[in-house]
Amino acid sequence: MMWSSDLEERIREVLAQEAEAAREGLEGLEERVMRAIAQRAARPSLWRRLKERWGLGFSPRWALAGAASLALILGFVLGRMFAPSPLPLSAQAGTLFAVVNPQAHSVAVMGDFSAWQPIPLSDPDGDGIWTAVLDLPPGRYEYAFLVDGKWVGQDPQADEYVRSFGEYASVRYVGTGGGA
Amino acid sequence: MVLGELELVQRSLEGDLEAWGEIVRRYKEAVFGVALAILRNRADAEDATQEAFIRAYERLHYYDLSRKFSTWLFTVTANVAKNMLRKRRRPDPQPPPDRIPDPAEVVWKEELHQAVKEAVWSLPESYRAPLILRYWHEMDLAEIAQVLGLRVGTVKTRLHRGRALVRMHLAEQGVIHDVVQ
Repeated sequence: MMWSSDLEERIREVLAQEAEAAREGLEGLEERVMRAIAQRAARPSLWRRLKERWGLGFSPRWALAGAASLALILGFVLGRMFAPSPLPLSAQAGTLFAVVNPQAHSVAVMGDFSAWQPIPLSDPDGDGIWTAVLDLPPGRYEYAFLVDGKWVGQDPQADEYVRSFGEYASVRYVGTGGGA
Repeated sequence: MVLGELELVQRSLEGDLEAWGEIVRRYKEAVFGVALAILRNRADAEDATQEAFIRAYERLHYYDLSRKFSTWLFTVTANVAKNMLRKRRRPDPQPPPDRIPDPAEVVWKEELHQAVKEAVWSLPESYRAPLILRYWHEMDLAEIAQVLGLRVGTVKTRLHRGRALVRMHLAEQGVIHDVVQ
């Protein structure tokens, strides 16, 4: 039995135990959040791109109803304007990321190694094989591709796949001899 | 170098995702606590925690830098959790037991702990959330009111009633002295 005056302390103890039990489930949350943010940013709605570019504050229904053709033109222009610029890639042997897709117009890779910012792959000879070589320190990396802005989480070259928040991502182990 | 919170927020506003990752690292347990106070289910609270940080990042340009950041973040979290609660089709679930107690191991202190835990988590959300924000996060009444979108007087009333309901539940279990009926 306890006294009523002890109740508040008991409630604090119970909640402190809940906080302790929660720690395991929250491990890696930072990476999951950054990945989800990058994923959503890679597929912004046309309205969101218009709003960000022109600072529009009125109802999206009104804007789309009144200016559908203008929105399509602006969307095309904005997409070209905000294409990520290529990052310098190492000429040394590194980690190859490759996507085979002759129909694609743009391919990028993003993951833990880039804070989930997209890094473009290139297809200089137009044979539909898009590649990038990244100089990565040894470790475990989660990543995904963006093919024409669409999330592609399962790379056939991956060591394994993970699924979180409804999407797959690929995992590579670089210089560690493989997964656990 | 340890960056201050304001600098992390400003860097996040400039698109620095790693700065936002640091904010997530610092606040994830507290945000989880707010979500759990409302949802009572650990798995749902984890989902709500993730969604809250994403939503907060997307709406960071609405944050007034002169205000306390944690209060703003907890308010976003409470709104995310309440939306999930509204959409949840199944009844408000009981939290799963941590373990099945071995009768040989049960001592009075563990029984007491379990009884208090059951009493707190069985409260309706309108009483449970203020109680948990008070005892888990040590928030003052004004902050609880802001996070939950209530008046301070309402928070005060709900805290008192929540504590009274916990005491009554424990009295029914026979684990508390001197309860005034």
